[in-house]
Amino acid sequence: MNLSVKIANVTFKNPVTVASGTFGHAEKFYNQEEVKKLGAIVPKTVTYFSQQGNSPPRIIETPAGMLNAIGIENPGIDGFIEKKLPLFQKIGVPLIISILGHTDEQFIKITEKLNSAGGISALELNLSCPNLKHKILVAQDPMATYRVVDKVKKNSRFPVIAKLAPNVTDITEIALAAQDAGADAVSLINTFAAMVIDVRTRKSVLGNFTGGLSGPAIRPAALYFVHQVARKIKVPIIAMGGIMNADDALQFLIAGASMVAVGTANFVNPRASLEVLEGIRVYMKEHKLDDIREVIGSVREARH
Amino acid sequence: MDKIQYTSKVVSNEKLCPRFYRLCIDAKPIVKRIQPGQFIHIRVAEGLEPFFRRPFSVYRAQNYIEILYEPIGLGTKILATKKKGDDIDILGPLGNKFSMPPAGTKQVVMIAGGIGVAPFLILSDILKKRKQYELVLLYGGRTGGHVCDMREFKKNGCKVFVATDDGSVGVKGRVPKLFSKINSDPRTTFIYTCGPNPMTAAVQEFVKTHKLRGEAACEEVMACGLGACLGCSIRTRSGYKTVCYDGPVFDLHEVIFEHSG
Repeated sequence: MNLSVKIANVTFKNPVTVASGTFGHAEKFYNQEEVKKLGAIVPKTVTYFSQQGNSPPRIIETPAGMLNAIGIENPGIDGFIEKKLPLFQKIGVPLIISILGHTDEQFIKITEKLNSAGGISALELNLSCPNLKHKILVAQDPMATYRVVDKVKKNSRFPVIAKLAPNVTDITEIALAAQDAGADAVSLINTFAAMVIDVRTRKSVLGNFTGGLSGPAIRPAALYFVHQVARKIKVPIIAMGGIMNADDALQFLIAGASMVAVGTANFVNPRASLEVLEGIRVYMKEHKLDDIREVIGSVREARH
Repeated sequence: MDKIQYTSKVVSNEKLCPRFYRLCIDAKPIVKRIQPGQFIHIRVAEGLEPFFRRPFSVYRAQNYIEILYEPIGLGTKILATKKKGDDIDILGPLGNKFSMPPAGTKQVVMIAGGIGVAPFLILSDILKKRKQYELVLLYGGRTGGHVCDMREFKKNGCKVFVATDDGSVGVKGRVPKLFSKINSDPRTTFIYTCGPNPMTAAVQEFVKTHKLRGEAACEEVMACGLGACLGCSIRTRSGYKTVCYDGPVFDLHEVIFEHSG
C-alpha cells in the first residue's frame, strides 16, 4: 500500500501530520517508535525574536471545540535552533517548520537562519495567526500574500508552504496568489477569529479579548474551504480544521488535500494522529485501494 | 502516549461530605509512580461535550488513585455519575511535584481552600513517614458542607484547624484567621498552599511579611496537560509558566496570582 505524498521534491511517507502549536515534549510523553510513524511533524510557530505570549486566560472550551489566544509564545529562531530543533530532529520524522515574521525582513532572516541550520524538510509560513493584534493578516490580502511568499521563496532552500486564514471573502484568490508567488503548497485553515463573553462580568473571557476557534466545530467549514481551493490550484494542500479521527481526515483527502494535520484533537487524545493514520490504512484496505492518490481529490461532483 | 494514557476502571465514587465526592480509580501501571502535587487528566465523556479533559490533583495514591472533586460544572457533574466498574480514560501522572521541606524544618503548614485540600492528603501520607515534622492543616471552606471529614488527615498526625465563611464549622471567616497557628520562623517553618487565588494571594502576603519559604499548587483552565498548547500559562516572576508542565507546583514567592475575581 502506497501512502506516500510529495510536496515539491520532498516525499512524505504518509499524509498524516500534526498542526502547528499542538504537539510538544514528544520525548517525554510519546512512545518514540509510534511517533516515528507520522508523515511529518510541524512544531509550534517560531518568530524572529522570542515572544512571551498573551496574558492569561489563554484558552476556553466551546461547543465541540475551543478558543485559543496563546500569542505565539516561543523562544525566537535562535533559541529554537539551539534548543528545540535538535529534540525534534532526534524523532527522525520530516520536520515542517512554521515561521512568522512581523515584517518581510524578519521572514527573510528566519529563513536564512533555517537555511544554515538544515535538517528540515519544508517551511510553513504562518500568514494567518489571529491573535497578534495585527490590523490585517497577510493571508487576508492577495498582494501581501504574494509579496511574502515571493520573498521567502527566493531565499529558502526548502519548499515553502503558505498557511491561509479562513476570515476572508474568497480564499481561492489568496491561494492563487500564494501559488503564483511560487508556494510549493498551501495549508488551510488556521483558526477562525472568535470570542466568548462572560455575561456576569460583561468581559471577554480571554486575556487577549479575542481568540481563534478550532476543533470539530469548524470542520465542515474547513472542508468547504479545502474543496474550493482544490478546484482552483495545482499545488498540494495540507488540510487542517477539527480533524478528530480517520473519517474526518478522509473527507479532507477526498475533497482534494494531499496531507492532513491533526491539531486540537491532540489536546484531548494524544494518540489522535496515529489513530487517523491507522484508520486511513483500514479504509484503503476495505475499499481495495493501493495508493493514497486514489483517495486524494476523488470527490464525486454529482450531487447524488 | 502509551507512556501516560490508560483506560482504567472506577473502583468507587462516593460523597465524602455534602459538597465533595471522592473517585477511586484502579490504575495499577501508574499508581506507584504518583508523587504529591501531581495530577491526572480525565476524559469524562467520549463525545465532544465537554470537549476538554479535566485535571484533578491526586488526593491519595496507595492501592488506587483517589481524586476529590465538587460537582459544579459540566465535567464534574458527569464524573459524579460514574459507577463502580465503568471505564475511565486518564492521562497521567502529569506535572511536577511538591519538594520535600528543606533541612531544619520543624513545622509544615498546609493551607487549603475548598477543593484545594486535595493534594495535601497524599503529601501528608509521605511527610508523616519522616516523623520529624509538626504537621498542620489550615482549611477554609465556604460552608460546613465544604468541610470534609478530616479523619484521614488526623490519622496522619495533622493538627487540623478549620474556618468557614458562615461559621457553621470552626472559626467564622476566611483562612487568614487561622494564620496565628503558624510558627513564623523562617528557619523552621515551611508552607504549602492550594486554593482559590484570593486565598493563595493572602498566604503569599503572609509568607513575604514573615520571610517564610513555601510552595503553591496552582490552577488554570487546561487543554492538553502535556505542555504542548501553552494554554494554561500563569504569570510568574520569571515569565509565563505552564501549570501542566512547569507546575502545578511553584515556589510561593514566584507566582503572581491574577484574575482572582
